[in-house]
Amino acid sequence: MSNAPIVHFEAASTLAVVVSSNEPLLFLSRDQKVIAASTSFCRTFEIDPATIPDRTLASLGNGEWAMPKLASLLQATASGSARIEAYEIDLQRPNRKTRQLIVNAQILDDGDTARIRLLLAITDVTDARAEAKLKDDLIREKAILMQEVQHRVANSLQITASVLMQSARQIQSEEARGHLHNAHHRVMSIAAVQRQLSMSSAGNVELHTYFTQLCESLGASMIADDDRLSISVNVDDSVVEADVSVSLGLIVTELVINALKHAFPGQQIGTIVIDYCSTGSDWTLSVADDGIGIPTGSLAPKSGLGTGIVEALARNLESEIQVSDANPGTAVIIRYRGNARRQT
Amino acid sequence: MFNGKAVILVVEDSALIRMSAVDLVLSAGYEALEARDADEAIRILEARADIDLVFTDVQMSGTIDGIKLAHYIRDRWPPVKLIVASGQAIIEDSTLPTGSRFFAKPYEDHAIADAIARMLSSP
Repeated sequence: MSNAPIVHFEAASTLAVVVSSNEPLLFLSRDQKVIAASTSFCRTFEIDPATIPDRTLASLGNGEWAMPKLASLLQATASGSARIEAYEIDLQRPNRKTRQLIVNAQILDDGDTARIRLLLAITDVTDARAEAKLKDDLIREKAILMQEVQHRVANSLQITASVLMQSARQIQSEEARGHLHNAHHRVMSIAAVQRQLSMSSAGNVELHTYFTQLCESLGASMIADDDRLSISVNVDDSVVEADVSVSLGLIVTELVINALKHAFPGQQIGTIVIDYCSTGSDWTLSVADDGIGIPTGSLAPKSGLGTGIVEALARNLESEIQVSDANPGTAVIIRYRGNARRQT
Repeated sequence: MFNGKAVILVVEDSALIRMSAVDLVLSAGYEALEARDADEAIRILEARADIDLVFTDVQMSGTIDGIKLAHYIRDRWPPVKLIVASGQAIIEDSTLPTGSRFFAKPYEDHAIADAIARMLSSP
């Protein structure tokens, strides 16, 4: 269509390649006359192919391509003193939004060194840029929302924890105070998961860090004399889903509270060991103390809320609870056997 | 801290958390003052010269947040000790004035009481 010969004839194949280029492409003479334009160029920039022959780049369309910067860059390219590589320019047209373009220009290398001609490839990146910006904005917005939600959760937990502690300080009954403290420990146990989650991106919780934090906090608030009682955490590098970690954390909280309260009466020295290990989908959690052991005659200690919580959560995790005499002391072992379950 | 009880200013915009924090301070044996945002805290600090420690939240309504408040206090009333608590789990220590303590919310009451006692006993 636009194979207007100026002085010389261009090879038909060259013109055909230019016209059929998928990327908007202009084939220009040294003095920036349009020898050929790709169909994609005409379509993208709304230029009637019939108007192209004998036009200069500057007079295409309504003159919107008459950009001094582009002209000087093309001139420099033609003289071999510069190369336009991924140069960004804005295309401005009346009643149209400005388009962001990336242009690449080079001398056509067809062996004819006497006659310089240029290939100018133009990519319209406006939409891609807008999309990328939208995506960035969404990601940023999501991060801000997440932070806001985490902040709200932390504040709500703080209100709950603070009110429980204030009630505990004001109440006269020793027993009722104990219950309020237990409720406070449960809230803090869930808060520790929340804190872990806010620092992980995938919604997974590293049990070692979580249990360590949990036991430090339980010890700090429940153990008056560090030389007498201690809690040690022996956990492999297991990582579990948030829901599972909440259940495991509450189980540990209940069992540790129970051991601190009942296993070491008087001035007895003692240790509580939390052990967790997993192989494949199987896992074993144990909380053992070296205290006085289970009082004879009552294999199942008086079921309180704590026992109820442990049983309900263990059932929910499809695991089995085993309470045994650790001689000295008591060991509560909670096991999940995924494979065994499937066979039965 | 010339005549007995140390004075602690609690800055927190949540009414319930503020109430409990004041109770925590009182039951630990200190005198408690309260402000609901940084602007009110600064007015109180300007009015009284006997405040030993400020225990502040970070995200609050008002013209400045708790971190800016902490820096402002350190700059204007250097001897005042600072404890900062926030629902944001990680706040870089470098964003806080040196010597101040940070606690993520929900904090343990005894941890705050310990920190107050320790900071007030150091020069």
